Amino acid sequence: MSAVDFKEGLIAEIPNLRAFAASLSGSMQLADDLVQDTLLKAWGNADKFQPGTSLRAWLFTILRNTYYSLYRKRGREVQDSEGTYADRLATHGNQESHLDLADFRKALAKLPEEQREVLIMVGATGLSYEETAEICGVAIGTIKSRVNRARAKLAELLSIRGVDDLGPDFRITAAVQRAGPETVGS
Amino acid sequence: MNLMNADPPEAARVDDDDEAVLNPKVQESIGRSLKAHYDDLVNSPVPDRFLALLAQLEATEQRLRTEDGADERG
Repeated sequence: MSAVDFKEGLIAEIPNLRAFAASLSGSMQLADDLVQDTLLKAWGNADKFQPGTSLRAWLFTILRNTYYSLYRKRGREVQDSEGTYADRLATHGNQESHLDLADFRKALAKLPEEQREVLIMVGATGLSYEETAEICGVAIGTIKSRVNRARAKLAELLSIRGVDDLGPDFRITAAVQRAGPETVGS
Repeated sequence: MNLMNADPPEAARVDDDDEAVLNPKVQESIGRSLKAHYDDLVNSPVPDRFLALLAQLEATEQRLRTEDGADERG
C-alpha cells in the first residue's frame, strides 16, 4: 500500500472513527481529540498495517485502546460537566425523529461500555463479529452475549415491549378472539 | 387451553440471560435506531483539522525524505 493510498484510506475512515469515538466517549469534542490521536498513531505505525486486512478494524483497535488508556476518565468528567452530545442534539432539527433519536441515545449512554461498544461495532459499523472479537481481544461467544445483553437492556430502558410483554397481550388477544369479534372494542 | 398457561419459557426472559431471545420486532427496532444514531454521526461534517493534520504529516514525511537524500549526497 502506497503512502498516498494509506492517507486516502485514513481520510475515508474519519467519519466512522468520529462516530465510533462519539459513541464510546459520549462527547463530540472528546471524539475529535480521540480521532486526532488515532490518526497520529496510525500514521506513525503505518508499517504495521497489513495490506489486504480491514483498515477500519485496525483503526478501531487503535482508537479503542487509546480511549481506554487515556480518555475514559476524561469522558466521564466531560459528561458530568457538559452533559452528553445526546442531550444537546435533542433540541435540533426534526422534532419527532430527533426526540426518538435523543431517547435512544440516552438509553445507549446508560449501557456498560463493554456492551455499548460491541453493539455499535456489530450493529452499525459493518464490522463482523469476528473483527469485533479481534478488536476487543475476546472470544466471539463473548461478543455475542454482550450484544444480546445490550439489546435486552436497551429494550428495557426504552420500554419496548419484548417477549415478556407479548405473553399477557397474546393471552388477552386469544381470550378476546374466543369471546367473539363483537367484544373486540379496545 | 394452553393459551392461558403459555407463560414465556425461561429462554424468553431478557434479563441476565445471554441466550435470551428478543422479539424480532424489538430487535429490528433497536437495529434501526442504532443505525440512525450512528449514521447521523457519520454524516455530520468532518472538521478541517483532520485533513490539515494529515497534509502536515505527509509534508513532514516528504521533507524528511528529501533531507535524507540531501544528506546522502552531501
